[in-house]
Order: sequence, then structure tokens, then C-alpha cells
Amino acid sequence: MSDPLLSISDLRVEFDTYGGIVQAVRGVSFDVQAGQTTAIVGESGCGKSVTVQSVMGLIPSPPGRITSGRAMLRGTNILGAKTINGQDIRGDQIGMIFQDPMTSLNPTMNIGSQIAETLIVHRGYGKSRAFQRAIELLEMSKIPEAEKRARQYPFEFSGGMLQRAMIAMAIACEPDILIADEPTTALDVTIQAQILDLLGDLQRERGMAIILITHDLGVVARMADEVLVMYAGQIVEQGSVDQIFYHSAHPYTLGLRAAMPTNDPSGSKRLSPIDGSPPDLFNPPPGCGYCPRCPQAMKICAGEPPPVIALDQGQSARCWLHHPDNPAAAKPNQAPTGQPGAMDE
Amino acid sequence: MLQYTVKRLILGIITVWFIATATFFGMHAVPGDPLTTDKALSPTIRKNLEEKYGLDKPLVTQYGIYLANLARGDFGISFTQENREVNDIIAEHFPVSATLGILAVIFAAVGGVLWGALTALYRNRLPDTIIMFLVILGISVPSFVVAALGQLSLVNLNQITGTSILPVGGWGTVWHMIVPSLVLGLSTMAYLTRLMRSSMLEIVNADFVRTAKAKGVPATQIFSRHQLRNAILPVITVLGPQIAIITTGGFVVEIIFAIPGLGRYFVQAVQQLDYTVIMGTTVFYGAFLVFMVILVDLIYGLIDPRVRLE
Amino acid sequence: MTTLDKDAFQPLEQTQGVHKLSRPSLSYWQDAWQRLRANRRAILSLYIIVGLLLFTFLGPLFWDVDPALQDVDQISQPPGADRSAYLVEDYLPWQGQAQPARGSGLTLAEPATTQAVRLVWAAQPGAAEYRVYRNIYPIGPERAFGLPLFETPAQQTFFEDRLDLKPRQYFYSVVVLDNRGQETDRWLSLTVDVKRVVTRSEAIERGLMDAAEEVPLGTEFKFALHPLGTDYLGRDMLARLMHGARISLFIGFFAPLLYILIGVIYGSTAGFVGGMTDQAMMRFADFVVALPFLLFMILFKVIFSISPGESGILPMLVAMIILLWPATARLVRGQILQIREEGYISAAQLLGAKTNYLVMRHMIPNTMGVILVTITFAVPGAIFTEAFLSFIGMGVAPPTPSWGSMCNEGRKTMLTTPHELIFPALFISVTVLAFNLLGDGLRDALDARMRNRD
Repeated sequence: MSDPLLSISDLRVEFDTYGGIVQAVRGVSFDVQAGQTTAIVGESGCGKSVTVQSVMGLIPSPPGRITSGRAMLRGTNILGAKTINGQDIRGDQIGMIFQDPMTSLNPTMNIGSQIAETLIVHRGYGKSRAFQRAIELLEMSKIPEAEKRARQYPFEFSGGMLQRAMIAMAIACEPDILIADEPTTALDVTIQAQILDLLGDLQRERGMAIILITHDLGVVARMADEVLVMYAGQIVEQGSVDQIFYHSAHPYTLGLRAAMPTNDPSGSKRLSPIDGSPPDLFNPPPGCGYCPRCPQAMKICAGEPPPVIALDQGQSARCWLHHPDNPAAAKPNQAPTGQPGAMDE
Repeated sequence: MLQYTVKRLILGIITVWFIATATFFGMHAVPGDPLTTDKALSPTIRKNLEEKYGLDKPLVTQYGIYLANLARGDFGISFTQENREVNDIIAEHFPVSATLGILAVIFAAVGGVLWGALTALYRNRLPDTIIMFLVILGISVPSFVVAALGQLSLVNLNQITGTSILPVGGWGTVWHMIVPSLVLGLSTMAYLTRLMRSSMLEIVNADFVRTAKAKGVPATQIFSRHQLRNAILPVITVLGPQIAIITTGGFVVEIIFAIPGLGRYFVQAVQQLDYTVIMGTTVFYGAFLVFMVILVDLIYGLIDPRVRLE
Repeated sequence: MTTLDKDAFQPLEQTQGVHKLSRPSLSYWQDAWQRLRANRRAILSLYIIVGLLLFTFLGPLFWDVDPALQDVDQISQPPGADRSAYLVEDYLPWQGQAQPARGSGLTLAEPATTQAVRLVWAAQPGAAEYRVYRNIYPIGPERAFGLPLFETPAQQTFFEDRLDLKPRQYFYSVVVLDNRGQETDRWLSLTVDVKRVVTRSEAIERGLMDAAEEVPLGTEFKFALHPLGTDYLGRDMLARLMHGARISLFIGFFAPLLYILIGVIYGSTAGFVGGMTDQAMMRFADFVVALPFLLFMILFKVIFSISPGESGILPMLVAMIILLWPATARLVRGQILQIREEGYISAAQLLGAKTNYLVMRHMIPNTMGVILVTITFAVPGAIFTEAFLSFIGMGVAPPTPSWGSMCNEGRKTMLTTPHELIFPALFISVTVLAFNLLGDGLRDALDARMRNRD
């Protein structure tokens, strides 16, 4: 494999809260390849958003704190650095879109100006030139009547249109990486598909890498090349989309898949939820965070944190089941073929 | 926007009518005829009043005459000063009060926004703690105490230095205006500072500020273009009622600093039971405040597109 | 890598895997109380308020002084002032004959007392008349002589000052006048420390000594103690502050309590009934809100036109209630409308909850917090209003003391005796401060959104 575009290693983030210190991210490492889509999947509060927000320097501090880690973008550590060679990489080399487009845009500024702002900051465009470019970008994001729309305010847009405008804003400077933090969660299902198509088209046209954060396995199956499964602030399994869906190695991934609705025509199969809830990150358990909910938990899981164990072809899992010393260590369960769909949180 | 303005103005006129009516019937509920009670009126005034208000006619007719006069902008004649029209009194004294009030409002608004933004940016650090302590103090000390203590310290300052740095009372030059308007605007400034701070704190973590950061917009530009403009909105909404507070607060400041404003005159009229002046100034002040609130709301509309375009 | 024990890979018994909540669950009020307790400023404010109530209601038991009693010997006394007075003979008229002037300057004929200051001076050549001045500040280079007391003819080179003498330092000056009665630039001056004295008959009258008693002249008496001094009529400041606190706290507690009660009833009725009734009720509330508050307070005072002998508290209370209920009504209506739409109300209704149950179990507990905070912030507002009205002479009628009217009276003498202004002002400010901080604390503690912040 070629050198990764972005390489994150041993990222740890803490938050001071009313109830104590929350260890939101506990040693996350992964690589992003140019032109590929890396999906980070997991349930709410597992640290997936915090991971990408720390890369973007968006962790509010205080209360947030990055305690360790590096994020190498083409060989330069961008973690904690506001600028590189005096240039802010945010918005320029990495673009980002957010979950709730209704609140993520400035309500008192028109859409065109908000897009133009990126170009003024990074490209030094003049106001009118930037605004013209903003209209082109809106057209590229398939917003009809872009000329008129650019002069409108966020409250005059629908959610889907706003997310298109957000995408236009994020790609304004033709970034190498686009981070999409739950880009479709707040949208209607029909709009979701359109937004995902748009992202896919833009990626093909520009060869961008996309880091896609979602809790929707359907979205993962549709978009991703690489998949990272996060649980309780750690990556528990990592692999290609096929490996994750068809050769799941971690019991959590298996649980997620079992909790996914299918369109099995017999209709007899019930959804099986994962019992319990994630561990309290004020006080992370000494062993594996998934142990209390794991149907295959072993004695060692409760006391010893599992190491990352490399499996075939780049797949890896943080689970004792695959430890070479485990007498029962076997090939991961073969997954039943199923259609991806929405994961119920 | 035009429709909104017209609607607000019509509502404002109805409110003024309500104030006028409440004032009229309130004053006529005073036990006994206001003209025949304790005060011995000079025959000239009595004759003028009877002609003007039709005091021998039934109350409803009087009310009609009163409203007709008001509609023409005629507030009546003073009870205690012969042939002095309330309109003349307002025309003479209101500009002074208005100057004082406008200076105080400007001082309060500019100060409140700046201090509020500053404390929010330095949240929980030393400047924030110090300013917020002063703010709490500013909210808790009544305006008349601030005014009196302000004057007292001015007197002492002049005495210690042996020169007259600033005049301790009176009106006329710019120097006379400084201390009274500072004193008058102080509590409003404290209130606005608090409001601005909490509004800024909410905006600091708003999603759209995060978006601006993700775009790589420099911090100063995020502050001026994204945070300030949105954080200022709640401050503007309370500016209308705060103008009312500054206006009435002006009464005591005018008394203490011996400023010949309408407020001082109003308090005097109340003490002398000069009914027409009381009624006239109340309705005038009421109308003034109602339209100030409307004006502030219209300014709000200019800043917030959600109001402007709906 | 060390090899791990095979036993470690045995399946785990499920009992160990049960997820436990690591934090105890708290009810809404428990949680609020915990957070209020953690707020040091709010708790300190609570102590101040309790202290203030003790001061108001228990204070008069310990400091049993009539707030209307005038101590004519100690007028505008600052706290901690010298209370001693020396016994002297009853006043005898003086003709300036006692002593000739020594030297060329201005001198005292006798020690200066509060009974009289007797000045003599040497005749000045060319003087047609003399003008005698007294000042409480040093005369200084700009020749601020102060108060002109008297003009004496050329042959009279003595003067007796008996004008409202206080036990303090005075600066006397005698200016030579020419034939036309104009001041010349020749003047004499003298700094005099006046001692407080009391005559035999006064001492008996004040109860400092018995008529039968033989007390030698020059005996030191102590006048009544005024811990916080006296005002311009010689009334005890501490007693007046205690009694004034009753007025301020009475208005401060009762006005908000009553108008918030009315507001709650009005607002919840409008919110429940809804429809046209709600619309009509709220339009009316809008108009009342639009009335400029303090102007109408003043107007109400005029309308009620208190007769002499009344304190004027009741009209103020009524006026506040009439004018201030709409804000609470709006707030409560908004809350009720909002709560009515909440999912848990629909859920309770689906489970068959009756209206009464909904009101008691959901509506009231969920609006209590907002109402409590409103009351806390309304108290300083009411105290402010009372003080403001009393300050401009529209509040309580004299001689009833209230903090506001005390400030008003104190302002007139603030240049010479600032304590008469500063003490009541301090009480108002500290009270308002305490309620504001407590209100802040309560709001933060009761705001459920705050649970996850900070």
C-alpha cells in the first residue's frame, strides 16, 4: 500500500465535566488513503466525532484536552497545530461537514457569503470573485437557481439544501480530505441518498479522501472502502468493508450486524439488540470495555485490556478471542449474507 | 418588513391610547374634583381650565375632549403656573432629558457589548472574575445611590485637587453631561454586560462557530463576523425596556445633579399635584417609551434576517 | 511475548457481566439542592438573607430604641463619635468685658464650648467695621472664609458665636471692612476646637444627673450611644435601619408573592383554557406590560393620595400588584403550553391519567422551578422600586423610616455627614446583591440543561 495521506496514531482525548474526567478517546490509530472513503462507525458517545474533531482542532478547550497522539498529514503533525507554515489547513486541505446543517450555518449571514468566506481566507479572492465562485460551487452541489439561492439565508433553505450548501462550502478550496460527521443523520431518508450520491460523485471527480462518520451501517456499506468500528473510545475492529461485513472478527461488530434490519422475505428473523449500555467513561473498566455485554466474554476479558491483533489482509481486532494463546482461537465466524440497513441506536 | 412596521405602529398607537385612557380615568378617580381640592387656584387658571376641559360636562364628554386634544398633540395647561402650556414645558425640558438619556444608552450599550464579549472570551479567568464582580455590584446598587455617591466623590475629587475637574451639578456644557450620563447608564451597562456574556458563551459553542473554525476562518474574523453579530441579538431585544429604565432613572439623576430636565419637572409636578402636567408628561413619556420599543424592534429586524424577511 | 494461562480463556460467568450504574440517581430537587450547595456565592447569600431577617425581627429586641426619638444633643453624629460632654454653668450673657485681647491676633476669651465660642481681637487700624466668618474647612489661599456670622462696629472687637455649634473643629476669621463696608485684604484667623458641654439644667432634663445631686463643674457625662450614629434630626440610625428593613422587606416579599400568585393563576388559566379566551387574556396582559412601570407607580400614588398619618405602604403594594403580574402570567402560560406539548404528558394521558393528576404531578412540579427563580429575582426588584419611590418622595410618608427615604434624607447632608446616606445605601445594595446571587444560584441549580454543562 502507498503512503497514507493522513496517519493518526495513539490519539487520546479527555474532557473535564461536571461529573469528573471523561476519557472520550483512548488510543486511536488509523490511516486514511488518498481517494478512499474511510468510515468510522459506532454508537453514540463512542468517541468517533471527538476523534475527527481533535484532528480539526475543534475540541473546545477547556473542557477538552488532547493528552497524546499525532496526526500526520503528508508527513507533518497537524494535531494541536493551528497552522502549518502560516497556513490554516482547516478548510483548505481538509474540509468538514456536520450533522445538523440547520444549526451549522450562521443564521445572520447569507449562504453565498458563508461559502465565499472560505475562498477569501484561503485563496485571497476578492469579495465579488469569491461570491461568483460560491455560486458555481452551489451549482456543483446541484442546488437549483444557485444565483438566487446564494443571496438567501439559512432559514430559507430546507435541511437537504443546507447540507448541499455545507458540502459546497467544504469543497470550496478543493481539499484532499473531506470529513463528513454524520452528514445524513438529521435528514429524511430520501434526501440522505441524494446527499450520499453527491458525496460519491464529488469524490470521483476530485479524488478526495472522505472520512465518513456514521452510526448507520447502511451508509457504511454504500460508501466505505475501509471501516473502523469504534467502541468506548477505542477502535475495536478495522478492515475493508467486505471484511467487516462478511468476516466480522469482533463480537461487537457481530452484535451490530445482528441488530441490523434485513429484507429477508421470510420475515421471521427478529432483530437482536445488544443488551446493556456502553461503559462509563468516567471510569473505564480495566479489561475490555465490551466485556459486560459480550456473549463470548472470557475470564481474561474482565481484567486485561485486549491488544490489537492483526488478522488477514490488513484486518485487525482488539479482542482476546483472536489471541494466539487462546486455545479456541479460530477463524472468525462466517457471517450470514445480509443486506445492510439502518442500525438502530 | 413594511407590513411589520405598519402593524407595530398601529399596535403602538393603540397602546398609547390605552395609556392615555388609564391616565385619564386614573386621575379622575382621585377622591373629589381635582380642581376643588386643597389647592386654591387663581381665577384665571380656573377659567382657562374650565374652558379647556369642559369640567361642568359629564365625564364621557370630558374624555372625548381630552382625546381630541391629545390627538392634536395638545397636552393642556399647567395647574400651578398661569398660562403655561404643558407642551411648552415638554418642549423646553425634554431635549435636556433626551440628551442625557441618549448619552446614557450609548454608553450602556457600547460598554455592555464590549465588556460582555470580553468576559466571555476570558471566561473564568481573572478579567472575567473582576468584571463580573463589578457587574453584580452595578446591578445591586440603586441608581440614586450611584448618582449620590458619584456626586460625593466628584466633590471630594475637586476638593483634593483644589480645582474643578468636572462640574458637580447643573447643565450646559459637555463637561456637565459626562458624570450624570455615566451614572445613569451604569446599571443598564452592568445588566447588558451580563446578558452579552451569557449570550456570547452560548455562541462560542454554537455549531456555526464550529463550522467557521473548520473553514479555517481566523479567530478575530470569527469573533467579528459570526459571534458578535449573533450574540448581540438578545442584547438588542432588551434594549427597549432598558431605555424605559434609563428614562425613569433619569428622574433621580436630574434631581441629584440639578439638571433642568423633564424628569425633574415631572417629580416636582407630582409633588405639587399639578394634575395636567402629570397627565401630560405621563402620556408623553408613555408614548415615547412605546415608540422607542418599536424602534428597537425595527433595528432588531435589520440585523436579524429571520425577522426582516418574514 | 509471555504465554498467557489457558484458564484465562475460559468463558466468563454471566453474573460478573451485569452492567452496574456507577453513580446514584437523584431526584430533580435533590440534584438542584446539591448543585445549589456547591455554589458558594449562593450559600453565602442565603446566610446574608437569614442574617438580615434576624436583624429586622430580632434586632429591635436587643436594640430597643424608638426610631422616631430625636436626640437633640447628637445631631448628624457619625458612628464612633465622641459622646462625652462636660458640665458647665447655665448660660450667662457676655459683653466682651472679660478679657482684653492679648497681642495683635484673634484669640479666645474663654475655652470654646458648644454653648458659646467667645472671640476677642485687637483693634485693627483703619477698620470701620469687622466681619466675622466661620468655616468647617481650612480657609486656604483662595480665602474661603465660609459662613458670614456677624458684622461688628469698629469699637467692638469681640464676638460671641452661639450658632448651632457642634463638637468639632472650626476655622474663624475676622475681616476688616473699610468705610464703604467693603472687605479689605486684612484679616485675622483662628482655629478652634469646640468641646461639647452640657449645663446643669440640661443635664437634669436629660436625666444625666439628679436635681438634688451636687456634681462639680467639669464632670464628664456620656450621652446616649448610637452605634451607627444619628441622622439630621438626631434619630438613631441603627433603630431606623431596623425599622426601615421591615418596610423594605415587607414590600420586597409580599409584592412579588402576591403579583406572582396572580400571574400564575392568570397565566395557567389562559394556558389551560386556550383558544379565544387565551388570546383575549394575553392581549390584555400585553397592554398592561406596555404601561411604563415607574410612571404609573407614581401616578397610582397620586390617585390613592395618601392622607396624613398613613405610611403609604399599602398603595405602593397595590400599585405594584396591579402593574407587575403580566410578566409572570406570560411566563407561566408559555411554560404550560410548552409542557402540554411534551411527550410525557401525552404518555401519561395514554396511560389514563386524569387532568388533576397531570396538573399535580407534571404541570406544577415542572413550573415550580421557573416560578421560584422568578420570585427570587422579583424580590430585589420590589426593594429597588420601594427605594426609588421613597427616594423621590413618592414612597412611604415620613416619619416612617424606609431605606429609600433614609437615602433621600441622607443625600441632603452627604457632603458633611456621608454616613447618613451610606448606611441605608449599603443595606439596600447588600440585600439586593444577596437576592441576585441567590437567584443566579437557584436558576443554575434548577436548570436541567445545566446538568451536563461545566
